[in-house]
Amino acid sequence: MKSAWEAVAALATGFATTFKHLFRKPITEEYPEYKRPLPERTRAVIILTRDPDGGERCVACYLCSATCPVSCISMQSAEREDGRRYASWFRINFARCIYCGLCEQACPTSAIQLTPYFETCERDILKLVYEKEDLLVDHGGKDNEYNFYKYAGVVTKVGDKGAHIKEAEPVDIKSNLP
Amino acid sequence: MPNIVIDDREIEVPAGTKVIDAARQLDIMIPRFCYHVALGSVGACRVCAVKFVEGPFKGVQMSCMIDAKDGMVVSTTDEEAVEFRKYVIECLMLHHPHDCPVCDEGGHCLLQDMTISGGHGIRRYLGSKRTYRDQYLGPLVQHEMNRCIHCYRCSRFYQEFAGYRDLGVMQSANRVFFGRYEDGILESPFTGNLSDICPTGVYTDKPSRFIGRRWDYERSPSLCINCSLGCHTVASARYRQLVRQEARYSEEVNGYFICDRGRYGFFYASHEKRPRRALVEGEEVAYHQAIDTVREKLAQISGSAGPEAIACLSSERSSLETQAMLKRVCQNKNWSGPLFFMEQSLAEKVKTATARLEPGLTVSLRELEQADFILAVGADPINEAPMLALAMRQAQRFGGRVVVIDPRPIFLPFDFQHLPVRLHEVDLYLSLMIKAAVDRETATELGPSAAEFYQTIPTLETAAVPLQEQIATLAQELRGCQRPVIVCGTEVVPQTTPALAADQVLLLKAMDKQTGLFYLMPGANTFGASLLSGDDGSFSTTLESIEKGKIKALIVTERDLFWKYQNKQRLERIIEKLDLLVVLDYVDSETAQKSDVFFPVSSLYEAGGVFINQEGRVQVAPKVYLGGTPIKQNSGGGHPPRVYGVGIPGSEPRPAWQVVVEIGNGELPPDEETAFATTRKWLAEGNPVFANLPPIDQFPDDGVRLGPALDVGSRFSLDWQTERHPKRNSDGLELILVDWTFGTEELSIYSPHLRQVEKEPCLSMHTSDAVRLGLSSGDKVAIRFDGGRVEASLCVAENMASGVIVMPRHRLLEWQKIKELPRIVRFEEIEKVSV
Repeated sequence: MKSAWEAVAALATGFATTFKHLFRKPITEEYPEYKRPLPERTRAVIILTRDPDGGERCVACYLCSATCPVSCISMQSAEREDGRRYASWFRINFARCIYCGLCEQACPTSAIQLTPYFETCERDILKLVYEKEDLLVDHGGKDNEYNFYKYAGVVTKVGDKGAHIKEAEPVDIKSNLP
Repeated sequence: MPNIVIDDREIEVPAGTKVIDAARQLDIMIPRFCYHVALGSVGACRVCAVKFVEGPFKGVQMSCMIDAKDGMVVSTTDEEAVEFRKYVIECLMLHHPHDCPVCDEGGHCLLQDMTISGGHGIRRYLGSKRTYRDQYLGPLVQHEMNRCIHCYRCSRFYQEFAGYRDLGVMQSANRVFFGRYEDGILESPFTGNLSDICPTGVYTDKPSRFIGRRWDYERSPSLCINCSLGCHTVASARYRQLVRQEARYSEEVNGYFICDRGRYGFFYASHEKRPRRALVEGEEVAYHQAIDTVREKLAQISGSAGPEAIACLSSERSSLETQAMLKRVCQNKNWSGPLFFMEQSLAEKVKTATARLEPGLTVSLRELEQADFILAVGADPINEAPMLALAMRQAQRFGGRVVVIDPRPIFLPFDFQHLPVRLHEVDLYLSLMIKAAVDRETATELGPSAAEFYQTIPTLETAAVPLQEQIATLAQELRGCQRPVIVCGTEVVPQTTPALAADQVLLLKAMDKQTGLFYLMPGANTFGASLLSGDDGSFSTTLESIEKGKIKALIVTERDLFWKYQNKQRLERIIEKLDLLVVLDYVDSETAQKSDVFFPVSSLYEAGGVFINQEGRVQVAPKVYLGGTPIKQNSGGGHPPRVYGVGIPGSEPRPAWQVVVEIGNGELPPDEETAFATTRKWLAEGNPVFANLPPIDQFPDDGVRLGPALDVGSRFSLDWQTERHPKRNSDGLELILVDWTFGTEELSIYSPHLRQVEKEPCLSMHTSDAVRLGLSSGDKVAIRFDGGRVEASLCVAENMASGVIVMPRHRLLEWQKIKELPRIVRFEEIEKVSV
């Protein structure tokens, strides 16, 4: 008899728990009806950002493509009229990308950044090959301050010789005066 | 021979070896910026500091400044030395402009490597950085002075090593500046080396500016085929485009450096207009269709007019494989040829040179640097083979005397003596000088023919009076020197000169001197061509046969007929007359455009090849990349096309020797190794000298120097009695066609960057002739040749022979109107053009 009571009690406890949960707020998030805001540092689709002055940050230094463990980044550097180096084309093959974030770590100008946006599924795999126009955004991403050309001592529209941060006036090579 | 211990390892080095070099022999790489093996030490950068534990010096010292001495014990890893080097790097980085991402040196930058290996990562200095204004240095070198660490390598190379003065050091103390006095194109033809030796990014390669990083390039050792010296290079390709070429160290040939013509002469390989499809009557067809057409037409001609009606013309810039295959096909098919030279006289001179390069006489370019007396005859080093001038400069720097006997206005970047005599006097003056230096007894020791030869050389009194004393003094110097070298050109000189130069070297050798003989030849593989070319037939006889209708088909491999032939109209006529002109080439030459059937072939960088330089050194250039149209060209400049195919676009060109074999219905060898092995075997049957060649993948770095390649023939055979002494032309000037450093070489003219450094073509004549004609420097003159007027500006020079007019075979001059050579330009044929 005792064991029969025990069985009933066990069943009742179980059902009681289930019944209690009928009145609790559900913890399942209904994707895609509900999209959880992801932390800023989440690593998904890659963007090319701009500096605070609106210029393209990427100088096509090839460090991201060099560090990429799956070789999904390729580009070609070129020179603008004012001497600024930029990527004449920039391609990321997201079908191959593993979102490891090494490119972001390697980038000396904060240009390439990973974003939380991950919904990139495509039926046609070629659509996952992003060109520069698909990657370039018009904001600074996670870094809204850094402008590489304000520090680097090369002449561009951003600054002449001696006009960059912590630079002295150019040496006058035709005068021996101290 | 001092014994020295470095990092607990002992080594014996020759006296005078610097510690940094002794360490290198133990494979210990001591950091360095200013020290360079070719430039020596100055102790400017302080980064090669090591700790001297025992011996004559103690403590931290610069390893590049101290000679290895007995009993020295050196530690490169001592804590104090490591600490010292770390601070040196930090000091050198104080003013660094923080621009590695946009610097082309990044990735192969010595400063970057040393900074990282020294552990300097965080900038501690709070002051502001020194800056400099950059200069425009021409189309080849980009200047960015902010990156300078003041190692002085550039000015030492430019001034001390190469002998030019327009780039150097200015200012003092912390403001030392390297550059020119003002913006302008660098004068030296060796400027590309600045980007090689600069340990950071002050001088970077402008043609490959912002193209890519070193780690992305397909890099391979290669050879330069822009002159006959065969300098070693490293070629880099990216995205199916050849983008950069650098000097590769060679113990025997070019040392650490190369000239700008070689370095930037590669642009033909990825040129936009490079033909990449086979053409039949101007229509693009598939390769096999073109082969079938050619075979069919050749069979027809062979059937109707006999196989001799088909002639083959090879080239000096073809690889040995192509030359040999063409010869083999010709022999199998009984076709005429192959011919390798446009002029019979050049063929003979080159063959004499090849034959007279006996072992024991031949010197390499690097050995020539050791010479203490260089006598250049009919050679214009800067224009014909610039690296020879650099080697001569080294000889001169270390006390050697350089004498040039040549009618042209010779410029060399150092002090030398020039005997500006006319072409037919070159032999005389060479012999006069040797006769004055060599005793009669010595000549007699060499046998009766030598004695007679010596006897018949005219006496010094035959020389022009102003030159007599100069020759006597120089002969005295020559007598006292130990390692004289005679450099002999083969292009402009009279028929007799190459043999005479060899005879004179033999006379000098009999004086117990370590003599050397160095010939210059017109093309990269002229030596190979001279070994393979038969005795009979020059191209001029072939031309006659075509005109008479005896030859109906012409197969031309890798040659532009128009490039070095003085009669354009005649060539156009004979091309009209030919039933079939087959051209194999990798450039869109005029001949290629006029061909009936055209085959695109791969360039040196895609096919590789074996080349024999002018001293008989057989060298191998491996493949650099697979070929194909550069991505930049088939993407229209934007991102690469998004079509994915199986083949490489534009990769139809194949090695010329393969096309040759297929035209001759031969069977293609399965791969290059077999191809070279069979070629070598076949070559060795014809000339045993080839039997010693190793398999193509086992060639040593510096190649293999062929032994005596042809029968030497008769020595001391020049008969002075019949040696003609043409009277001075009182009514005209002797025309000399010459090469220039830039603008006259067939392949390098495709380089857009070298076109910018080309000088405007000008005719040169001696002041006295110009005065007689009432002309002065800068005047525009026209010469009436048989084929039409040729206009050019005039350069009047004091340092050249009178009675000659020198004309460059420049791409901008229509010199092909000359028609007949040799040519005396009569005074009335020269007129001033009023502007």
